[in-house]
Amino acid sequence: MTSIQCPDLEVLFTELEAGEGASLEHAASCPLCSAILEEHRQLEKDLYRLADPLPPPTLVANVMARVATEPTPLRRELWAGLSILVASLGVGLGLLISNDQALSRLGTALAALFTDGKVLIQGLASGASAIWNTAAGPVAALLVVLLIVSLSGLKRLVGNGPHPSEA
Amino acid sequence: MNALTLNPLGDIAQAIGSLMAEEAPALPWKADVQAARRGDPSAFEALVRSVQRAVYGLALRLLNSEAEAAEVSQEAFLRAYQNLHRYDESRPFDLWVMAITRNLCLDLLRRRTKVRTEELDPMKEVLPSGEASLEEGAIARQERQSLEEAMGTLSVEDREVLALYYVQKRTTKEIAQLLGCAPGTIMARLFRAREKLRKKMTPEEPT
Repeated sequence: MTSIQCPDLEVLFTELEAGEGASLEHAASCPLCSAILEEHRQLEKDLYRLADPLPPPTLVANVMARVATEPTPLRRELWAGLSILVASLGVGLGLLISNDQALSRLGTALAALFTDGKVLIQGLASGASAIWNTAAGPVAALLVVLLIVSLSGLKRLVGNGPHPSEA
Repeated sequence: MNALTLNPLGDIAQAIGSLMAEEAPALPWKADVQAARRGDPSAFEALVRSVQRAVYGLALRLLNSEAEAAEVSQEAFLRAYQNLHRYDESRPFDLWVMAITRNLCLDLLRRRTKVRTEELDPMKEVLPSGEASLEEGAIARQERQSLEEAMGTLSVEDREVLALYYVQKRTTKEIAQLLGCAPGTIMARLFRAREKLRKKMTPEEPT
């Protein structure tokens, strides 16, 4: 095929794409390489003329018929979220009900919250005030970071998803 | 005075804005995707119509079977609908659906126990040539038909890269995105596939 001095075909075609190079210069004066390049150009010309086949005329109707039986994407997400929430609550309640000790602790904690609620709130408020007075800057920065992270997480959860190949 | 001093800044901002506008990809599918997410069937139908030929074309080239290509295309669109909330709007919608299609095709090919070469024959009539002018006539059509036949005998990987690059006119960057590899790898794969095709198209030299 090509002579010993002729360049590797991959190099030649890469230079052809780039439009310049030593191999391309060689090809200009080499009848073997010129013939290969001409053959390559013809093949590319023929390949570019190929077209995708027309899909069956019923394709869109069939797809839409199947889509019609599906819940809307947003509702699907809502139901998925709700079902996870309900399942988690169910498991939690089930554990509580099945365990007398845990149930009595919960009752005591709720009762304590009602009776000592005011004291608890006052305690929390004074604690927060003390932290704010001693380190307002770092606390504010921490709160801002937390807010940004939460918002970007929410945005990602609602908007964008994983890579298409994972779908 | 102020206006005079601010003008250069305004010009710079305008220039940056126009540059960004030039670089920003057009998102023609965005409105339809958002409407489809809210449950508008006509919006999703518009999306299906806009990409059905590319999706079906890819499936047919990979599977070499009309029936399977139609089935896989339907399944791909259904999965796209089911996962529409996961779709990243900044990416081309057609490439996203094609990635789903490709995965389904590869799954199907893996499940096949043997190569069904008998399905290559109907492809001669299934795959059309491009817009043939009258002057080109029967000879050009025949040449393209032999090209399609030769392509049909290549491996799935070779058919895929040739179809995406030459038939669907995708860039190497787009193909790389779809196939999950570097553009340089696509160039190398294209070269190898083209060489195999060239050898198949070249009549054997008499010894």
